[in-house]
Amino acid sequence: MIATPNLGFWRRSVGFVPLAWRNLLANKPRLLRSSGGIGFAVLLMLMQLGFERAFFNASLEVIELLDGDIFLQRASKYRFATKDPFPGRDLEAARAVPGVASAWPLYAAWHEIFWRNPVDDKSFLVRVFAFDPDQPVLSLPQLDANMKDLSDLDTAIVDRRARRFLGMDPAPPAAELNGNKIKIIGSFALGPDFENDGTVVIGDRTFAKLLPGPRGGPPDVELGVIKLTPGGDPAAVQRAITAAVPSDVAVLTKGQLLELERKFQADVSSAGPIFAMGTLVGFVVGMLISYQVIYTDVAEQQPQYATMKAIGYHTRYLVQVVLEQATLSALAGWVPACLVSILLFRVVGAVALLPLHMSVELALVSLLLTLSMCLISAVLAVRRVISTDPAEVF
Amino acid sequence: MRFALAWRILTHDKGRTALAVAGVFMAILLVFVQLGFFIAVPQGGMLLYDRTRFDLLIASTGYEYQVLPGEFPLSQLDRVRTAPEVALAAPLYFGSAKWRSGEDGKAPDVFVIGLDPQDRIFTSEDINRQLAVLDRADTAIVDSMTRSMFGPLTTGRVVDINGDKVKIGGDYVLGTGFMGLGVILVSTQNFVRLFPYRKLGQVNLGLIQLKQGVDPDRAAASLRQLLGSDVQIFTRPKLEAHETAYWTTRTSVGLLFGSGLIVSFIVGVMVVYQILATQVSRQLPQFATLKAVGYGDRFLNGTVITMALLIVLAGFFPALVAALGIYAVIREETLLPVEMSGPRIAIVFAATLAMAAASALLSMSSLRRADPADLFS
Repeated sequence: MIATPNLGFWRRSVGFVPLAWRNLLANKPRLLRSSGGIGFAVLLMLMQLGFERAFFNASLEVIELLDGDIFLQRASKYRFATKDPFPGRDLEAARAVPGVASAWPLYAAWHEIFWRNPVDDKSFLVRVFAFDPDQPVLSLPQLDANMKDLSDLDTAIVDRRARRFLGMDPAPPAAELNGNKIKIIGSFALGPDFENDGTVVIGDRTFAKLLPGPRGGPPDVELGVIKLTPGGDPAAVQRAITAAVPSDVAVLTKGQLLELERKFQADVSSAGPIFAMGTLVGFVVGMLISYQVIYTDVAEQQPQYATMKAIGYHTRYLVQVVLEQATLSALAGWVPACLVSILLFRVVGAVALLPLHMSVELALVSLLLTLSMCLISAVLAVRRVISTDPAEVF
Repeated sequence: MRFALAWRILTHDKGRTALAVAGVFMAILLVFVQLGFFIAVPQGGMLLYDRTRFDLLIASTGYEYQVLPGEFPLSQLDRVRTAPEVALAAPLYFGSAKWRSGEDGKAPDVFVIGLDPQDRIFTSEDINRQLAVLDRADTAIVDSMTRSMFGPLTTGRVVDINGDKVKIGGDYVLGTGFMGLGVILVSTQNFVRLFPYRKLGQVNLGLIQLKQGVDPDRAAASLRQLLGSDVQIFTRPKLEAHETAYWTTRTSVGLLFGSGLIVSFIVGVMVVYQILATQVSRQLPQFATLKAVGYGDRFLNGTVITMALLIVLAGFFPALVAALGIYAVIREETLLPVEMSGPRIAIVFAATLAMAAASALLSMSSLRRADPADLFS
């Protein structure tokens, strides 16, 4: 409630927040309850938006780690995580194109190689990436190993962030891949995604031993990773490579590779609509709550608003006060919700080993949603102020 | 009298009450929907098992979950057939192949189930009847939920699977679950043609049907003795427990929807509390007046609890109906048997009632503070 009218203070504060601020602080238990209610609605939106981003980012993360400008893959490959390799000679053809500084193969297996956990002797499917250890085409995060040592046959580095049951954290001294004894020479921290529990990186020679190519020759290439000489025109080189390789090999920039994956995930999974629905529920609940809060407040203070009108304040100013108050209560809900969700993202992210992060983008999107949620309900509730008739109050 | 007063308070300001009920409705609906998604996850993993007829499942000791079952020798199934309790022992072969006739020249992975058409293992007679088509060479029937990226699924279309020409002999309604983007059924003869490196002597799963009246647990025990420790034998309840544990605790999907459920539950409960507390605190002057004219705390408490319950009940039942509608949509879209079971409804109902009671109790503390004198200051 507004304290005894102090016109001097009000006049000074016209156009500034203090009146709205005072209204908000007048009833502290109610402020706590309303910011709690709005905050929980915001928290719900944040969790849903964060989950959605984690879902999509999990599958994009490993593509981001590829160290190249242009990529070759079989044109029929519909997503990154599927084995559909092309012959190595097509990569040789690309290497000869002017403007190409280097072209190296990435070998991969998603459903072909089993890892035997040395602790409990259980076997699990793992994702395996392989490349020439002198030409590491994948920038492994927090790599704690000497990559060059992968050139020794039957060596591997493993993912410390893999799911616990794989027994990769801490990295064991030795394990088995498809029944072959493998020496573990180090580890990195990548983490699982929605289909892979963990990742093992091996040298190209070890890969050829585990999964020999057609007719026992060298294995086919899953992805060609091409770097361009600086200063060239990437689009022109991309066209030249396309002309140099057979039509069943696609030549893509990293952006196109990411887009293909994003489009696949959006098309086949219902994650997008599921999380969008959760966000919408949070928005509607938040709107109902903030409407209730603002409406109650305006109704209670109607005598005060009427008094202000009587002494000459314009309706516009009173509306402005209500909107300011709505903005403040939006912030009062959003700030704690943001802090709590940072904590929740950490906890859930650590348990589910998924890339759940508070990002600037996520913070801004949720702030925008919160503000519009509170302002829409303020506009709906403010009609009451407009209709205030000074004479009625007394 | 308490009910009458609570009713009058709520109907006095219908707009506000409607708003509170709408808020409670959304909060409860949210919990139901998240619960539905969470249930759908293990159901997706159980889909094939739920639609096939068997009492016991035989799998390798390396069995992880349906799509990663491991292998064991077919001879084990021959031994099973000698047991007097067993009516049928049907082998299942699983494989993943490249469907090279997808849209835009893409080659999506198709999950291939190889079976003996004579075994008629499906609960749906409609599918069993169609199995006769599979005796033809290089013929497959396609799950109707196979994604559009596989191109048209018209009967008679010849597609390239792993480099072999295979004719689509029809489609069946079962659902792809977590088996993949597309699923086809083929006979064992056609299965080895698609996967030449696979030997029919190594099977992925064995479905055992017992003779009438045989107790599955006892039969499982005696088969365990017969087969030794190279394979494991699941009864239906054991299998369901295994798959549910796998999908809810081991996979990202389960963990994500699990935490989503917990968060939405807490949010839902807090929203209900916030709404009820606001409703009650608004009426404090009226309650103070009642106190002043001589009504006791017990009467007022009773009124507050009744108010809270009325709002929650008014929100709960529409939310239940809406959730049933949303479950029906999920069922339609995914063919997963996401159902609203009695216990599930009871849990959400109990939670909302508990919340109503808790918020009423919390509001009562402010009610006790309702001093008649304050009202007229």
